[in-house]
Amino acid sequence: MLAPGLLAALVLLGQVAAESGSDFSRLAIIEPAPEFELTTQDGKTLRLSDLKGKVLLVSFIFTTCSGSCPATTHRMAFIQQGLRERGLLRDGRVQLLSITLDPVRDTPEVLRNYMRLYDADPACWTFLTGPRDRVAKVVADWGMWARPAANGQLDHPSRVFLVDRRGRIREIYNLDFLRQSWVVEDIELLVKEE
Amino acid sequence: MFHACGPRVLVAGLLLLAGLVCLAPAEAETCLSPFVKRLDRPEKFLYVFCLDADAKDNDFLAVIDVDMDSPKYGQLIYQLDLGSAGNETHHFGFTDDRTHIWGCSLFSSRLFLIDVASNPARPKLVKTLEDVPAKTGLTGPHSPYALPGRMLISFLGAKDGGLPAGLAEYTNDGKFIRRIDLPADAPYGYDVAVKPDINRMATSSFTPPNNYKKPLAQMDLKNFGKDVLIWDFRERKVLAKLTVGLSPLECRWSLKEGANHGFTNCALDDSIWVWEGDASGRYTARKLCNTGKLPADLRQSPDDRYLYVSCFLSNEIQQWDVSDLKKPKLVSTVVPGVQPNMMHITGDGKRMYITNSLLSTLDRSPNFWVRLAHIGPDGMKMDPFFNVDLTKLPTGPARGHDMLLY
Repeated sequence: MLAPGLLAALVLLGQVAAESGSDFSRLAIIEPAPEFELTTQDGKTLRLSDLKGKVLLVSFIFTTCSGSCPATTHRMAFIQQGLRERGLLRDGRVQLLSITLDPVRDTPEVLRNYMRLYDADPACWTFLTGPRDRVAKVVADWGMWARPAANGQLDHPSRVFLVDRRGRIREIYNLDFLRQSWVVEDIELLVKEE
Repeated sequence: MFHACGPRVLVAGLLLLAGLVCLAPAEAETCLSPFVKRLDRPEKFLYVFCLDADAKDNDFLAVIDVDMDSPKYGQLIYQLDLGSAGNETHHFGFTDDRTHIWGCSLFSSRLFLIDVASNPARPKLVKTLEDVPAKTGLTGPHSPYALPGRMLISFLGAKDGGLPAGLAEYTNDGKFIRRIDLPADAPYGYDVAVKPDINRMATSSFTPPNNYKKPLAQMDLKNFGKDVLIWDFRERKVLAKLTVGLSPLECRWSLKEGANHGFTNCALDDSIWVWEGDASGRYTARKLCNTGKLPADLRQSPDDRYLYVSCFLSNEIQQWDVSDLKKPKLVSTVVPGVQPNMMHITGDGKRMYITNSLLSTLDRSPNFWVRLAHIGPDGMKMDPFFNVDLTKLPTGPARGHDMLLY
């Protein structure tokens, strides 16, 4: 049995290793997830800090997108299914979030309809919108951007963020890397982290 | 209950298909991280990472107008001063969203973060990372390689300029995330390339800063690597150490979806090697072909059929047909001028921009330029009208190395 002092030192060492970004976990600690305060598809207010203790998968999409957003949301729906099959959606341990890049058009009602199209389960997957300025700040805080493209759509990066239970970004996927089995494995790893 | 194949998801699937059609261009730029957003139009600007030839003036990023409809086509239209000299500015790479370029410098170990999206004709230096060795324990940053939302950098040396080399990850805005160590028995570093569809990464091996900083005559030719490492990308874990020809430089995975092979040019072995993975997960490497002397850069055609190799010492660029890996064929050769080095091929595969500085310690000609080759069914032909002279700049001659298009 380890002496309490030695045990404390080992715990501290592990924590320092994780926080200094060494290979303590294959999922590096990239940076703290930026706070937000937005409106859900049901018109309720949701903050990132309300979700502490949950593993989050966060996408940025807009409902009239004909580029990467439908593919991203479709993959998220498969991930939702995979999480359910692995029992990872029990007890609210995992939450999927999709934040709109186009808050003017994506009202709560529009988001509710979009959710139905993709079989998004409101118990574990929340869509978020809000006043234009507030959404723009959230988008910028997360290192994202959206600007009008020549085809009338919005140009934007393809990124989906994995956030651990302590509110830290641990992986960033794009469509090439948003495989159901890989993401479910990553989420399971973070759910099991102490 | 939620059914993945319900009618609503079928509708969503149709939307997805429409989206994927929009996402998958028939032609795309090669030799960039697969995570980088591709150009969906012909190029307008060519960025060239330049170092002042005598290292007395500041290094810079040159902007060349390559918009064929522009009255300034083929002219150097702007020089972005990087604020310091003697960096040995070398390779650079886009962030995943193509808004910024990260530039690596082999002598100073500085990393330059340059905004190209706000005004592509006049890029802006937004940050210079001065503390790279202190943060990473590594020196000689070489390949800046975009991952989603962050950058993976391969390094050539340890903090003291020796071995082992390594890799490091940064956020897109320049915050250090973590270092990834190389195995003790394969301590040399050079390039890195990821193949996301099969979850693999490859790294290659050159020589550490305390060797390449010396004049050529004093370099220790025994102090070069000859390994290509194949990694499990998600785990950042080495799966195979492959011995290839001396000094394997660029890592180029086959562009085909699911293909499990790639290529490297072995600079001190005058050859191209291919690595191949089999169904059991085992990797092997073999010499694919002998090239001209000192193959310094290796590029791919968008259809995955051709490799282009610049032969620094024999002054030629060779085009190899590698559609049959058992029978590679040399199909064309051009001589763009003395010591050709870096190449950059357009997304349609029809144009190749070329520079001719390798390293200030290895260049043997003072005539530096940017030239253009056209690629057609009958091979490569030099454009006699496109010649950007880098020797008559206000700050004197400059060595142009890596290039990117916007």
